[in-house]
This record gives sequence, structure tokens and C-alpha cells, in this order.
Amino acid sequence: MPGGIESADVKDRQRTGTRPTAPQSSGEPPPARAPSRLAVPLRAGIGAAVLLCLAASLIHGVMVFLHVAPPNPVSRQFSRQVTAWVYPLFEQNWRLFAPEPESVNRQISARTARIAPDGTVQVSAWFDLSAVDTSAVEHNVFPSHTTQNMLRRAWTTYSELQGSDDEPRSERAVMIQKYLRNIAANRVATLQHGAFESIQLRVIARPIAAPATSDAGRPAATTARAPVDTRLLPWWKVTPDGN
Amino acid sequence: MGTEQKPNPVPASRASQPRVRLRACADIAGRLLRRAGAVTATLTDRPVSLYAAAVLRIGYGLLYLVFLLREFPHRDEIWGPGSAWTPELAKELFDQTGWVSILTLSDSRAYFEVCYAAAVVTSVLFTLGWRTRAVSVLFAAVVASFHARSIFMTDGGDNLILLMAVYLVLTACGRRWSLDARRTRLQASEGEARQRSTSTAGRTGPTGPTGPAGSVGSVGSTGPAGSAEGGLLPQLRRTRTTLVTVLHNCGMFVIAAQVCILYGSAGLYKVQGSSWSSGAALHYVLNLDLFRPWPALSLMADGHTTLITVVGYLTVLLQVAFPFVLFGRLKYPVLTMLLGMHLGIAVFMGLPLFSGAMIIADAAFLPDRFYRFLGQLWRRTPQPAEAVVAPSPREGTVTVPSQAGPVAVQSTR
Repeated sequence: MPGGIESADVKDRQRTGTRPTAPQSSGEPPPARAPSRLAVPLRAGIGAAVLLCLAASLIHGVMVFLHVAPPNPVSRQFSRQVTAWVYPLFEQNWRLFAPEPESVNRQISARTARIAPDGTVQVSAWFDLSAVDTSAVEHNVFPSHTTQNMLRRAWTTYSELQGSDDEPRSERAVMIQKYLRNIAANRVATLQHGAFESIQLRVIARPIAAPATSDAGRPAATTARAPVDTRLLPWWKVTPDGN
Repeated sequence: MGTEQKPNPVPASRASQPRVRLRACADIAGRLLRRAGAVTATLTDRPVSLYAAAVLRIGYGLLYLVFLLREFPHRDEIWGPGSAWTPELAKELFDQTGWVSILTLSDSRAYFEVCYAAAVVTSVLFTLGWRTRAVSVLFAAVVASFHARSIFMTDGGDNLILLMAVYLVLTACGRRWSLDARRTRLQASEGEARQRSTSTAGRTGPTGPTGPAGSVGSVGSTGPAGSAEGGLLPQLRRTRTTLVTVLHNCGMFVIAAQVCILYGSAGLYKVQGSSWSSGAALHYVLNLDLFRPWPALSLMADGHTTLITVVGYLTVLLQVAFPFVLFGRLKYPVLTMLLGMHLGIAVFMGLPLFSGAMIIADAAFLPDRFYRFLGQLWRRTPQPAEAVVAPSPREGTVTVPSQAGPVAVQSTR
């Protein structure tokens, strides 16, 4: 194996030493370790490989470009090929804070219910899961993905897939619902002792006030104007295996 | 090289008028073919940006290692069987998307711990550049497996690390600043020393210093390879070298294109947003609870309306401009400003992994002479031991005996 590397290095050194004098096959006498011409099938193989590599690189570039570009006639026409090429390995996710940064802070809370021995349903107080994340991020040079991404992305994915009536309409939506429920259940389990049969989530979206403009007279008015949106999710059964 | 064939498809024995036209056509075709040949030559001749490739290898290897170690306390929660995204859910999703991951092959905790340890070891070896090509495949498999297992916990930084890990498999990223390079160097100097000792044994003393060095150079390069020049094995070896070079150059091209697409699309997505065009975007960014590790700092920055408006516009401008400034001198100030931007993101928003991934990607656009200069700087400063020891055996063995004579003679006089 080192043979190939070594010979490449030698070649490399020669080339960097002298100006690239385009190794034309014309008259000039070959340099010290001049490659005599390779056998024809090898040369043809190299040519084919070069073409293949070039084509693959260009196609990859075009496919990725079409994937990130806004929908257009070309990308619509080739959408199947583009999707097949890009997913799953070459997914492109460059929408951090674009086209708009998030303008709300979400407070996601959970409460649990269990049936007491006497048959009554006992409902716990709300656990503020987001507050736990926020305090874990605070004064942390390198926050964990579990605090910055886990609950946040689970919720955004859930709200994208689910209608506003929390009725899962696709296989994927059912899966994400289970995921969100498991996150909440796992976290509550670490905070509260004792078993529970079902769990409920509540999401309060607090809009970030618009930037205070030059008329510094009424900053309070702008904050008061923003409506707080509260969404209460249905009770979900919690199973021990999480599925 | 395979394109250098006779372009003239028609036998040239015709009337004079068409012959002239044909010759002109052939001329143009020949010129085109030569141009194509030149393109092929730049692809096949020499692997480009070997240092930049090494920087990508070291950067992403190290970054992934740091990431794995940072998440050590949460490893089961993110990738393990105890994750909220259960192994069953992960497998179900893989069935839909076509992903595969080594992590879902077994649900046992012990198996997961072995995988985690293997991932750490792989990252270390990849960073060091040990058997780089094979390890780079492993590294890509590890990154893809861990990424896929926690797909709903990833962000742009993880996405970029995955893409780069896959692309780096194509490149010869272990050719510089690696254990592989060190081994090659040691083997070369060892072979040289052996050759010198045989050749000095054959010669007599006086010609010492110059003679062997010259002959070693020629023997070393033409001897074993030259003797069997026409043989099949050397030809195959050269073919392999060329193919490796082509693959590397295409890999580096894909990496560059990917980074351009990344910046271009990130910038153009932002242009579509009203808060970016009104300059208020950073105000919202600075007020997100989950991306505000230093609330007092964010609050202070948020107070400087003019500053964050300017920085917001500059961000979009830099991102959109990035693909267009790469071919001129302008790329250095732009890369510097992007570095500042990413350092800002790392500190203000608590996203060091994302920022690190972006900074390393930017570093791929610095020229090799810059990295060679860094290497020289590094060699000149902290390592006195190697620098002093290395030259001594060269001159020592040959010159000391020859010098001993005159010195001894002088002292007796």
C-alpha cells in the first residue's frame, strides 16, 4: 500500500519544483522518472475514470443545488431524481434562522395522571421542561444537544406534521407523537417519583417583543401587544416500553 | 490522456476546397481536445490542496471527538437504547428513509457502549491520520450511524460534519500532517540510509559528502522502478496513483462546491425573510432562551441597535457573496469576517460545535503555501530536539573520519 502513496509524493515534489510545463507528448525529453506511456487499456481506463469522476462531481453539485434552490421548473421536473440522490446521506439543512429567526420562546410543560387505589384520578402539577433546558444552557460554554435540540426539534417537527387538532395524519406523525411523549415521560420520571399512566403537554408560545424603535416613549406597549398563545395537547397513554 | 486521439474521422484524400475546411475543423477540434487534455492533466497530475485536506481531516476528527466526549453523560439519551427516540422508532424510520446505522443492530446496552468506544477510537485515529484511507471509511460510517440514530436532535453543524466525513473518504487527506506521512518519511529516510551505507562501502572515503548523496538520488528514483518500467506491476501502480489523484481532486472540488452551496443558500433563504431585510433578525436571535448562554451579554448586544442591524446585513451579504469572492484576493477579508461571525455565534449563541464545523469548512479555502508557512513556523519554534539531532547523522558518519586526519595532523605540529 505505501507504494502508491510514496510514488505520488515523488511525483508531487517534482511537479512543485519545476513550473508545470504541461506534460505534452511532443518532442521534449522526459524528466528523470518520466513515465513511459502506459499500456492502452490502462490509459483508456484512466480516461474513463476521469470522465466518471468529473461527471459524478458535477451531477452531485447540480443535484444538491436543485435540492436547496427554491422550487423551479427544473427542480420540479427532476424532483424524484433529486430526492433519490440527496436523501438520506446528503441532506442539506442550512435554514438556521432563515428565512425568519424564531420570534417566540416556547415554554413546554408536562403533567401526569395516575389512578389512585381508591379509583380517583390524581393529576400532578405542571413541570416546566423548557425551564430545565434554559437553565442548563445558561452560563454553559458548550451546551448539550439534549438541551438545545431535543425538545425544541421534537416540538417543531410535531407541529409541522400534526394538524392543530393533534390528530396524527401520517405514519411519521404517529412516530413523532410517541417521541415527544417519551421525551416528556423520561424527563418527568427523573423529576417525580412514582408511576403514572398518562401524560399531557402544554405549550405556551411567548412572542419576543419587536425591537424598540426610536420613539422610546412606549416600550411597554409593544410588549403588551404581543399575544401569548397557549396550546393544550390531549392526554397520551404512557407505556413502559415507550412504543 | 485517453482523449488524445486522432480527431479527423474522414480520410484526407478529397477535393482541395473541402480539404481546407476539413483541416480547419480538425484544427479547432484538435485545439479543443488539447484544452480538454489540459483539464484532464490538472486533474490527474497532482493532488491539489493536500494541506487543506489534512486540516479538514484533523479538524473534523477532533471536533467529532470533542462532541462525543462532551455528550458522554448523555450518550444513552442521544444514541443509546434508552433514548426517547427508541430503537424501534429508529428502525421504523430507517425502513422509510433507507438509512442504516450500526447502532440499531442490537438493543443491548453493552453493544451500544462498544459502539461508542469504537467511535471515540475511530475519531482519534482519523485525527492522527493512521492508515487514513481505511479509517476515513470507518469514520464516515461512524458519523453517519450516530447522525442517523439521533436524526431529530441534529442541527446544521452535525449536518455539515456528516457531509464532510463522507466527502473526505474521497480525498487523500492523510498525505500531510499524519502518522501515515511520518511513516512514509521514516521509510524513505531508512531506505536512503541503507542505500548510502551500501554505496559508501563500495566507494573509498574522500569523495564522501557529495558522491553518495547524488548517486542515492538517482538510484533511489530510477533503480527499482526503472528496472521494471515496462512491467505490468509498475504500470498498475502508476494507474492507481493517477486514479487516487483524480478522486482526491474531485473530492476537494465537491467539498468546495458544497461549502459554496451552503453559504449561498443560507444567504438567499435569509434574503426572503422580512426580519433580515428590516435588520431586526439579530434582535430576535439574541432573545431566544435556548441560544442565550450569557443573557447579560446578549442583552448588552441587543441594546446596540445600529450595531446588530449592521452585523445582520453583513451576515447576509457575506453569505451570498461567498461563492463569488473565492477566486480573488477578496476571499481573505471575507474569510476573516466569516471567522469573526462564527466565533460570535459560538460565544453568543452557545453553538461551538456548529461554529467549529463552519470554521473548519472555511479553512479548506486557504492555500497550501499558507499551511506550509504555518508548518515551518511550528517547526522553527518548539522542537529543538529533532531539529538538532536530524542533520547530525548525515554529515557525521561521512565527514567526521575525513576531518579527523587534518585536525590530528595540525595538533601534532
